[in-house]
Amino acid sequence: MPLTLLECDIPIPEREKHTYIKKSGETIVPMCNVQTTPGDLTERGCTYAGCMGVVGGPVKDVIHLIHGPIGCAYYTWGGGRRQNLSDNTEFHRKYCFSTSMQEPNVIFGGEKKLYNSIIEAYERFPAVNGVFVYATCVIGLIGDDINTVCKSAAKEIGVPVIPFSCEGFRGVSQSLGHHIANDVIFEKIVGTKEPDRVTPHDINIIGDYNIQGDLWIIEPLFEAMGLRILCTFTGNASINDLAVAHRAKLNVVHCQRSTPYICELMEEKYELPYMPVSLFGIEQTSKSLRDVAAFFGLEDKAEAVIESEVAKILPEIEHYKEQLRGKRVFIYQGAPRAWHWIKLMEELGMEVIGAATTFGHTDDYEKIIERIGDGALVIDNPNSVELREILLGYKPDLFISGLKEKFLAYKLGVPFVNGHSYERGPYAVYSGFLKFAKDIHTTINHPAWKLIEGRV
Amino acid sequence: MTQTKAKAKTETKAKAKRSVTINPGMICQPIGAMQAVLGVHGAISLVHGSQGCAAYPMRMFNRHFQEPVEIALSSLGEDAAVFGGADNLIKGVHALVARRQPELIAVLTTCLSETIGDDVDGILRKIDLPSTLVPMHTPSYIGSHVTGYDNAVKALVTHLAEQTGPNSKINIVVGLLNPGDIRELKGMLAAMRVKAIILTDISETLDAPLILPRPRFPDGGTTLAQIADTANSIGSIALCKHAGGAAAKYLTSKHKVPMISGSCPIGVANTDRFLENVSHLTGRPIPDELRKDRGRLIDAMIDVQFKIAQKKVAIHADPDVASGMARFVHELGMEPAIIATGTESKEFVSDVQAVASQTGHEIEIISGCDLYELHEAIKKVGVDLLMGNSEMAYIRDDEKIAFARIGFPVFDRVGYQRRAIIGYGGGINLVDRITNAILDHADSA
Repeated sequence: MPLTLLECDIPIPEREKHTYIKKSGETIVPMCNVQTTPGDLTERGCTYAGCMGVVGGPVKDVIHLIHGPIGCAYYTWGGGRRQNLSDNTEFHRKYCFSTSMQEPNVIFGGEKKLYNSIIEAYERFPAVNGVFVYATCVIGLIGDDINTVCKSAAKEIGVPVIPFSCEGFRGVSQSLGHHIANDVIFEKIVGTKEPDRVTPHDINIIGDYNIQGDLWIIEPLFEAMGLRILCTFTGNASINDLAVAHRAKLNVVHCQRSTPYICELMEEKYELPYMPVSLFGIEQTSKSLRDVAAFFGLEDKAEAVIESEVAKILPEIEHYKEQLRGKRVFIYQGAPRAWHWIKLMEELGMEVIGAATTFGHTDDYEKIIERIGDGALVIDNPNSVELREILLGYKPDLFISGLKEKFLAYKLGVPFVNGHSYERGPYAVYSGFLKFAKDIHTTINHPAWKLIEGRV
Repeated sequence: MTQTKAKAKTETKAKAKRSVTINPGMICQPIGAMQAVLGVHGAISLVHGSQGCAAYPMRMFNRHFQEPVEIALSSLGEDAAVFGGADNLIKGVHALVARRQPELIAVLTTCLSETIGDDVDGILRKIDLPSTLVPMHTPSYIGSHVTGYDNAVKALVTHLAEQTGPNSKINIVVGLLNPGDIRELKGMLAAMRVKAIILTDISETLDAPLILPRPRFPDGGTTLAQIADTANSIGSIALCKHAGGAAAKYLTSKHKVPMISGSCPIGVANTDRFLENVSHLTGRPIPDELRKDRGRLIDAMIDVQFKIAQKKVAIHADPDVASGMARFVHELGMEPAIIATGTESKEFVSDVQAVASQTGHEIEIISGCDLYELHEAIKKVGVDLLMGNSEMAYIRDDEKIAFARIGFPVFDRVGYQRRAIIGYGGGINLVDRITNAILDHADSA
């Protein structure tokens, strides 16, 4: 069975192209990375969200100044939103900066307000190493020249002031925002400084945003293999780390949707190769460590790390596997985690009966379809009406998605784990896998589900 | 930022205006309008803007109310930014009607669609569909979420209210309060045997039971028929005049429905006044049941006096909640030292000045206040207790002061959307919350 139309989509038949039932031997990929149908009850974010919220925001030692009306700044402020952690908690994500454009600024232009805002913000927080300026929708319409303003402000304050033209309307989803952030960081930051020293074993970890501290359990594994982490892009990153990233020997790439751009640019300009990895679950993490080790000729060290890490979690994982065997899962993530986690669920004995992404491209869907079983549903940019139909129709034992879908799942009586910002994570590599398994087990077996009136 | 120090006679301080906002004390208009629409049964907001204009507010609602929320989007992209968004809007409204059959679609503008200059009213007038379409102008670069709520409820009554014949009900425009507040309000009205139209009623839509199967739209909410009937009521009261006053004013000028504008019923005197106003409009007496609730609140206030008296308090909340709370902390024997709101408002300043002159407290009043300015004021004045939303937790940490949560959003503790702050019952909740915050802080010190 190829493309399919959900019942709720009969009034908007263009959704059929986005909805595919996997069949081996076919080479069909659902339509993706296109504008959301107007009137959709979408779960997607905007270009600004991808640029500031995902890639730019985690940089820990710059002022993130949002140029536009107040809402866009408010929504990306630290406390309890994206849980990408840093070790600069006295500043990073604690403060939120906005030009808070008012009507007169929209009419007469906001360049002066932007300039003054940069100077005033820097005066109050002179310890920062730079300022990132993000343009929101209205800025693109009124035509503020943010590049020139940033240049003159940088001259005044003596630290880099980096403009990002990431107006929300520019792209079809967060995805273009990732691309813009990659391009700007590459162009204006990478290669602007030289590291104090280099070693033959320097790597960058690209595309990890340190959700609930993922990086803090990933980095020690590579370090135990004798590698040095020069830069993380961009979880817990300093702008100064990004500036020297070109001197690494290898880019190890985790999120392959939000960062292939900078990897390709660095390969082209600095002949710095990159290696895609999957640091979720035992099998994928072990393969990734072996691949990276092989690049550096450190195979023995990788085996030692893998052996000791797997031994630490295997008995408990086996226990959860016993309990979770045969459970059916629907995964809806931004993009790569939808395919990163298919293997991981299988390692826990579960079956992935559906996968969806918010902003995946063709290559993401190819990876999903390659990994997922026959008969599984693959759907691009699903909306709340479709999600309801899927959860009620397919009756998964578990739904893994983000905050916006969490309470819908709960209200339909479907066990749920937040895969975006995690529950009791981090979920990466070995120790994180165990936490992930525990959270999955917790929600599926929570006693309160059985108490719901009307649950069949 | 307007900063005022008040003590009996007012002394106003001119303050150099900062360009940069640091840690905002307000959000933009659309989210306030969305909350109003979420209280209408079978209604959906359709934001005429880009992807983030739907996704971000949804997340805020999810965090605060712990409920699913649907927001539709006209999905404006680069083409629309150049050529206008009319096609997207028309297509969007049709798709939403076809898939969800809402009773009402509120079309919310944004900074994007307002700057493009789409004639939303004109476009909607030409659409003939079974759902009621209501345009709401909520440009993000004017006012705040409070303004957005005010505009939304006004748009609802402007489009729907219709004189058909007296109904012997009163209209109560709630403002940006919580499901728990509306339940408290309904309790007071029921005790007085007063029939009311609640504009808008999120008490069930944003606090829905987990019972399967889930209805197509959450139960509860104000019906369109009730909104239409607001033109026939014997009077209107806006609990928060900044967020709902415009609708009450419209009903007065267009349909001769008298309005009473007072303080948000937080604390004893404010609740007394509110009940007197309800009694005045309806002729219904205030029953013993409410007198006993009042007595229980005052009993609780006396009980805790030595635990909280003379403590200096900083409050940052939406204008009417902050000014209402100022009076209540005075009633508690505490000192309202800093009363601030994120929304720029002269009326807020005069409201708090009135509290200052009636109570004799020296109050630093800041309207249009971001949290950076609040923090600076707290450092200068020195307070024992901070009251505000979850965003302010860092000020508690930095200044090592007690912290009692009120307002929106509260996402770092649970249950605040369920507990009232208005009425005598809400007052009791606040006595407990404030006192326990001070005791917890003392224990941890």
